[in-house]
Amino acid sequence: MAKTYDAIVVGSGITGGWAAKELCEAGLNTLVLEAGRPVNPDTDTVEHVPVWQMKFRGNNDRKARLARQPIQKTCYACDEMANKFFVDDIDNPYTVEDGKPFSWIRGRQVGGRSIMWGRQTYRWSDLDFTANAKDGFGVDWPIRYADIAPWYDHVEQFVGISGQAEGLAQLPDGQFLPPMPFTCAETHVKDGVAKYWGRDRVVTIGRCAVLTEQHNGRAACHYCGPCHRGCVTRSYFSSINATLPAATATGKLTLRPFSVVHSVIYDPKTKRAAGVRVIDAQTKHPIEYRGRVVFLCASALESARILLNSTSPEFPTGLANSSGQLGKNVMDHCMGGGADGTIPGYEDRYEYGNRPNGIYMPRFRNVKDTSPNFLRGYGYQGGGGRGGWGRGVDEPGFGADFKRGLKGFGPWNFSFYGFGECLPRPENYVELDPQKTDAWGIPALKIHVAWSDNERALLKDMSVAAAEMLSAAGATDIRPFVQNNAPGLTIHEMGTARMGKDPKTSVLNANNQAWDVPNLFLTDGACMASSSCVNPSITYMALTARACAYAVSAMKKNEL
Amino acid sequence: MDRREALRILGAATAAPLVSRDLYALGNDARERWRARPGFRALDAQQQLLVQTLTEAIIPATDTPGAKAAGVDQFIDVMLADWYDPADRQTFLDGLADVDARCKTATGKAFTDADATQQTALLTTLDDELARLRATHQKTDKNFWHTLKWLTLTGYYTSQVGFEQELHARIIPGTYDPCRMLDASTRTGGN
Repeated sequence: MAKTYDAIVVGSGITGGWAAKELCEAGLNTLVLEAGRPVNPDTDTVEHVPVWQMKFRGNNDRKARLARQPIQKTCYACDEMANKFFVDDIDNPYTVEDGKPFSWIRGRQVGGRSIMWGRQTYRWSDLDFTANAKDGFGVDWPIRYADIAPWYDHVEQFVGISGQAEGLAQLPDGQFLPPMPFTCAETHVKDGVAKYWGRDRVVTIGRCAVLTEQHNGRAACHYCGPCHRGCVTRSYFSSINATLPAATATGKLTLRPFSVVHSVIYDPKTKRAAGVRVIDAQTKHPIEYRGRVVFLCASALESARILLNSTSPEFPTGLANSSGQLGKNVMDHCMGGGADGTIPGYEDRYEYGNRPNGIYMPRFRNVKDTSPNFLRGYGYQGGGGRGGWGRGVDEPGFGADFKRGLKGFGPWNFSFYGFGECLPRPENYVELDPQKTDAWGIPALKIHVAWSDNERALLKDMSVAAAEMLSAAGATDIRPFVQNNAPGLTIHEMGTARMGKDPKTSVLNANNQAWDVPNLFLTDGACMASSSCVNPSITYMALTARACAYAVSAMKKNEL
Repeated sequence: MDRREALRILGAATAAPLVSRDLYALGNDARERWRARPGFRALDAQQQLLVQTLTEAIIPATDTPGAKAAGVDQFIDVMLADWYDPADRQTFLDGLADVDARCKTATGKAFTDADATQQTALLTTLDDELARLRATHQKTDKNFWHTLKWLTLTGYYTSQVGFEQELHARIIPGTYDPCRMLDASTRTGGN
């Protein structure tokens, strides 16, 4: 019998890293199981590799991506330098229903997707936590903003978030480092929009987990730009840059890479999780680990997959699934309605440095007014800059004058790009594919997810409202667009083991604890009962820290 | 370079031009290997000379080096050999042959033997034809001149010469200044 750990954490991404830190700092001997390989920020990051050293000069190895990463390559960050941080689609298959494409973008390595994440960090408000109760989609959240606010403070103080306080009820302010500044075009649009809509539509700088000053021993950003390739100075937050080193410093952490978790072991006598079954990624040998408490932090779809694969006479349809809700209610933000425009003027100015951040416009639909066309709302990311040499491909000319022209910059452009809330609906679900298995013999997921009319209406409105605001701000050549992105591509998938007030209709209680299995916690995106329209990671982090505190206190009282 | 060294360089701040050069040194081995690679694989000697001439006509040497010095022909050969599918590679090679054929019809000479005025006249025709495709909203992705311009600009501005000498760009700017005044004399950014 293997040694029993105080805690087992499955996954080392953004929530697994937090669980490791919080549990280790509470004194628990913690085993973190990561399916992929180790990553060392000193030697494995590629953000400063000059593009001329790349064989295809940043155009990716097209044939290799087509052969091994046909799904991953649809993500902008899976580029010629950073594709090693994305999974091999052949080894990690999943299936979909005909006509329902889903882009499952994954990173299996120590640090998970926290290495390539978008770093945008926004608090939820009670507008979000009460949304299900108001319109009847999904089930009501068992918590409200007041329950999570101190945990947002807790994680933000460690993470380091640069941003501007705005005093808006729908987007609560946080613990901010100094904000990054606007470009000329962004200030222009901010002022132009404010003239028409006042404080109802606010252009603020993105709130992001990138340091604008030294913080907790990590250096300020040096504005090289491509954060998704890693960061040797640890200037953005990730598990490998921040939480895992903190967990390691306690002496309580055991991190085991190459550990593909197959299932959670259930002990019917104690009605508890006894540990986990692992397939060694390299040898493919099965191993079992025992733990007093198990945290699943493998990502919304992977954690659901592990539980669906954890069957027993007591739980024939998957562990902790007495409600039948496991794997259901999948959400992802619908993104890609918006507009671009040209901002006249400022021709004697340019942007020096590569700011790894854009602007943000908080939700304004269904905040004060009520839209007749859709429920809930959306926010915009975006920004304004000047075109570089790439514009020359579509401009006439060649020769010395052409070259001289491209040395300078194109006009200032500004873009609004919307991210909308997705309704929780049971028709969007995942199950185990009865035929397909991955390279380790574990059943693959079959994913059934599609947008509803509400998400389509949001996308359309994003485009119309963006064009309207650009027009009000004096932009010219306004180009509205509505992209047709498959669900999943926003990489905010969530909802497969929702929190709720009732064990009959939810998988987890208010502390991210499985109703059916008291020593089992899910704190990744699986726990989400609704999706809000803001980027979710900081909420996952806060919920993880909160659940860890609860678990530690319950363990001390021998309640688990 | 380890983390301490990287931090020292970055911490030293904000703008020494040395910064990016030190970091470039990280990849010198790879660059040397790259330069030592065996010869052209998609383009024969004749085609290579034609590509060199065409790309230099698009981005010529001025006060900074042009496409030829930046090795754009080599980049295009790599793309043709390993990036494009065979059909698209053939479309490009057919486009090269067409340039020579049209030049011979017009001047009786291969493009590389034509004089500068004759070359410019033919390239102006190609550029005008592409402009007409755009103006009438037709697809440009199979147009040889469009592909050549994309390959030339990409190959040039992502080369070390294009990035450092032409654009004065830096891998590590060290600071962020969102509305900086352009250099009054060159109307460009960078240093």
